[in-house]
Amino acid sequence: MTGLLVDTSGRAVTRRRGSGLTAAIRRSRKAQVGLVILLVFCIVAVVPGLFTSVRHPNALQFTPRLGPSGEHWLGTTSLGQDIWAQLVYGTRQSLVIAVVAGLFATVLSVLVGVTAAYLGGLPDDVLSMITSVFLVIPTFPLIIIFATYAGKSTLIVVLIVLVVTGWSYGANQMRAQMLSLRNREFLESARVRGERRTYIIFAEALPTMTSLIVAIFLGAALYSLLTAAGLQFIGLGDPDSSSWGTMLYWSESQSALQTGMPLWSIAPGLCVALLGVSFALINYAFDEISNPALRPVRRRHVKRARVRNT
Amino acid sequence: MRYVVRRLGFFALTLWVALTLNFFIPRFMPGNPLDALRARTHDRLSPAALEQMLTSYGFKPHQNIFVQYLEYLRNMFTGHWGISIGATLGEPVSTIVWQALPWTLGLVGVTTVLAFLLGSLIGVVAAWRRGGRLDSVLPPVFVVTSALPYFWVGLMLILVFSVWTHGWLPSDFNYDPDLLPEFSLGFIENVLKHAVLPAATILIASIGAWILTMRNNMITTLAEDYVRMGRAKGLSNSRIMTDYAARNAMLPNLSGFAMSLGFVITGSILVEYVFNYPGLGYQLYNAVQNTDYPLMQALFMLFTVAVLVALLVCDFAIAWLDPRVRATGSR
Amino acid sequence: MRRTKTIAAAVVSLSLLAAACTSATKKATSSSAANNPSGSVSTQPGSTAKASHKQGGTVTIVNVQGQTWSCQFNPFNPAVYAESLGFVYEPLVFVNLLNNAAETPMLASSYTWGPDKKSITFTIRDGVKWSDGQPFSADDVAFTFNLMKRVPATDLYSLWTGAGLQTVTATGNKVLLSFAKPAQPYFWYFADQVGIVPQHIWTTAAVAAHPDTWADANPVGTGPFKVSPCGPNNIQYVANPNYWQAGKPYIQKIVYPGYLDNGPGNRDLAGGKGQWGSQFIPNIKQFYLSKSPDNHTWSPPVTNVEIFPNLDPSHPQTSKLAVRQAISMAIDRNKVSQIGEDGQQPPANQTGIILPTFNMYYDASAVAAAGYDKPNVDKAKSLMASAGYSPSNPLKLTIITITGYTDWDASLAVIKQNLASIGIDLTVQDLAQQTFNSRLYTGDFDLAYYGEPTSGPSPYYELRQILYSKNTAPIGKSASTNYERYINPAVDALFDQYPSADSATQVSLIKQIGQAMLNDVPIIPTTESVDWFQYNTKDIAGWPTPADPYAQPAAFNFPDAGQVLLHLYSKSAQ
Repeated sequence: MTGLLVDTSGRAVTRRRGSGLTAAIRRSRKAQVGLVILLVFCIVAVVPGLFTSVRHPNALQFTPRLGPSGEHWLGTTSLGQDIWAQLVYGTRQSLVIAVVAGLFATVLSVLVGVTAAYLGGLPDDVLSMITSVFLVIPTFPLIIIFATYAGKSTLIVVLIVLVVTGWSYGANQMRAQMLSLRNREFLESARVRGERRTYIIFAEALPTMTSLIVAIFLGAALYSLLTAAGLQFIGLGDPDSSSWGTMLYWSESQSALQTGMPLWSIAPGLCVALLGVSFALINYAFDEISNPALRPVRRRHVKRARVRNT
Repeated sequence: MRYVVRRLGFFALTLWVALTLNFFIPRFMPGNPLDALRARTHDRLSPAALEQMLTSYGFKPHQNIFVQYLEYLRNMFTGHWGISIGATLGEPVSTIVWQALPWTLGLVGVTTVLAFLLGSLIGVVAAWRRGGRLDSVLPPVFVVTSALPYFWVGLMLILVFSVWTHGWLPSDFNYDPDLLPEFSLGFIENVLKHAVLPAATILIASIGAWILTMRNNMITTLAEDYVRMGRAKGLSNSRIMTDYAARNAMLPNLSGFAMSLGFVITGSILVEYVFNYPGLGYQLYNAVQNTDYPLMQALFMLFTVAVLVALLVCDFAIAWLDPRVRATGSR
Repeated sequence: MRRTKTIAAAVVSLSLLAAACTSATKKATSSSAANNPSGSVSTQPGSTAKASHKQGGTVTIVNVQGQTWSCQFNPFNPAVYAESLGFVYEPLVFVNLLNNAAETPMLASSYTWGPDKKSITFTIRDGVKWSDGQPFSADDVAFTFNLMKRVPATDLYSLWTGAGLQTVTATGNKVLLSFAKPAQPYFWYFADQVGIVPQHIWTTAAVAAHPDTWADANPVGTGPFKVSPCGPNNIQYVANPNYWQAGKPYIQKIVYPGYLDNGPGNRDLAGGKGQWGSQFIPNIKQFYLSKSPDNHTWSPPVTNVEIFPNLDPSHPQTSKLAVRQAISMAIDRNKVSQIGEDGQQPPANQTGIILPTFNMYYDASAVAAAGYDKPNVDKAKSLMASAGYSPSNPLKLTIITITGYTDWDASLAVIKQNLASIGIDLTVQDLAQQTFNSRLYTGDFDLAYYGEPTSGPSPYYELRQILYSKNTAPIGKSASTNYERYINPAVDALFDQYPSADSATQVSLIKQIGQAMLNDVPIIPTTESVDWFQYNTKDIAGWPTPADPYAQPAAFNFPDAGQVLLHLYSKSAQ
């Protein structure tokens, strides 16, 4: 995640192959919007104290059920907490879940996908089978069952569950990409040179797949964010914690929408949506970058040749 | 043929893995049916009575675990899914499932297929009219909608169309409780009215992904040489669009559809939860909350089978559309 | 969405290991206000109020189940019996918990205790018919109890095992129950909680094989209503034309939708579509009461919600009396009630006596003398200091609770804050029901937040569950209801004396037990859990009120729901 921040501020910092990416990002408006949103959330997560004067957002210290006002920008909950403060402090956990789970899932995807493709033969068949099985088994029911039975609904459990269920999609993509790369010349030459397999994989092949890996990461982060929010919403997270999903859980159980406190429901959901959108926008921009055919077409006043029906 | 065999083999293997997981997870986690039943009966019954009740409901906790496993597999396949020990203590699981199934198929199934077809169609058209107004507006809008959480879309729709309009569109249930199910116009109208918001939620939240992937695939395909060849040959636009481009662009989309069915099920569980729609997803949530082992196991198996069947159908559709697959036996 | 807990407060939970023999009894039953001292009851047929209203009208009940209806009505199935007991099946005698155990004869027109209260003879009412037209007789009563012996899974109150029931015989219009030991404390169970079932239906082959799992989709009973029809979304009841109380029930139809969630249920109540609610409605003033002048609420408290500390020596901090005293003194019960329960559950007190329901057992001066009449943070701090803790050197404790009980989570949030100010760092741990239960039963906790869904006609029932030493077990084994592992022979002796004492002595015994609660602080009650009740008076009248609490008012109380239905009438039908 911090890698992205670095990219937008200084191209020269990256020494990886494909640094033309950063220039391309700057050109794409979608990526800019996405990155700005992400940046804002990151800042809020790191220094929440800058954005609100409340230090303990879950403490019951205010009059319950107040509407929005100068003192409480989004009003207060039915227990007497400031909604804006909860929103601000909740950013950190939601962002951490998305990024950490996304990261680990990506690492797993890359490892499995690349290994399967490069080794080929029986290891490939076995790994592909495992990947497909994980892909197909409906994960949310599994998550619900697992999260319920693990008893303590702590962060670690949620993270493990997200990683275990989120890696398979990316693994398939990595494998497909690796298969197509396997016979390219630069890899062939590395093999001829006598380089070790691990070197070839990690130092030669992977760097060319950076954009795919980033795309997989963003997809995994999005998946983790939405699934974690969903889990917390239906009550399988830790109700004592501060995160957007937990806020949604509380607002739902206190019937916020029906009892005249819609902001309590709208605000955290909107934040989840915004963060998710930022991931999606950046992802979309990466699609365009890696596939030139997708780049936005400027309308030109060129007469199109009429195709006559034969 | 080889392709068919391979896919069926994969189907069987995955089903077996899912069933085995399904069998072992509850048994490795804390708690057991005896405790669950004890809590359910508020501690009133003696241990002997509880054991008798459990046996009446089909549990034989002291049996060898391997024997239990084989019996479990056999029961799953023959439809002997046992009796619920959750909040609906005593009701046969199959009754609960058959009651809930048509609602999930109707709501989630129909809407998902609709979203897929509609999304693909829009994607094709958007790609075709590259650079047009449609194409510059749609992608950003749908990128946004594809990242929205299912349940939040549901909540917002409830807020706007149900709370603010004082109940113009109902936000819960599949039909009004005081109506009796029958094939009358009034009843069907009521069912449809209750289905509008949940269906809209699924549509809004999922269509974006289809539109975008289809559009991207189409654009990539349109840049291919054979399409240019078609144009050079002088074929009509619509012909190129359907026979040349769409048909090929559809393939990765179809396989993507199959892969993402797991996510669709996730979404459906959340939607049914938000709208209290008594389908399979809602029953699964309740089963887990009430530690209702028999119901949980049956539902989990059903979900897995549903995804696998859909995957199989998609695979065969791809094989039908793409002769290369038939020839080589793999993609 | 997870509903907040609705406690079937009238459900009595008899301790599984209730092995304590009550000593010989020669006392009057603990009824005061209404018609029946022990023994004879007025033989006037239909001694409930005479029919004085015209029949007609429909009542819609809002009691969220979270599940669609299974359309089973077996009175021996705890998952469904609340929809059949009272509506379709009736007990021998109705005992009103809210009015000091006032009794109303139902299927038994009178009863007499035998010597030493080891046997009881019920005189069965004449002229009662089953809803299918067949005549009702004492044989059906004997059959019901003997069925419970034959199939232990139907003996929900352990009558044949724990209560010592030995024989049940019917002669003419009388039924004799003989017990191995004095059985007065069990009267509530066998006379009020058991619904009598028809022999001619339950001896048919299909049913007799598995009476505990039989669906009983078309229940035949003596009660005021019949099921007609039932679907997954709704149960509809219609008046029983063969009902033994002439001219009753006034209400002719009941609509009982199967709500999946609180939201739609509460909305129907607020809009008037439902008239009888048994819901926890958050923000009830704005959401329900303000919507119409005909909307009312009254929720009588029946049991405690409490903190169970672990008194076993293996938990040194919670077994220190000073720590427990400090906790009880620091908690602001009013605030817990206001914020955690939206003010709808009254604050509890350290004696565990439910107020105002059991006012006569309560000693206010004792509570004040012990210092528990209002929160006292300073005294709490000094108690903590004597144990070696302070806000700068806090005691870390974990409290377990059940996931999804959001009102308890909210209450614990308040408690956590209260305790932080005296030097206790409380961590709230939400567990899945299963996990919570097993840890609670086996004593694997520092503190646990729980409320037993038990009640009975006096505080004896709940307090005995919690404090009696035979209801506990060593750490690691399953305790039946005494989770905190409290063992005090002096208190045990008080409980043992209760069944054989007369009313006045009983009151004094309970007061002494209350004093033990003040002295030993074995549990820390926080709020009093209630029978949730909302009612709409636009068309329907005859509701129970604080001035006239003729029955427990929630639709999930049984058989009280039947009593309520017998009183309700439609104004427009008059």
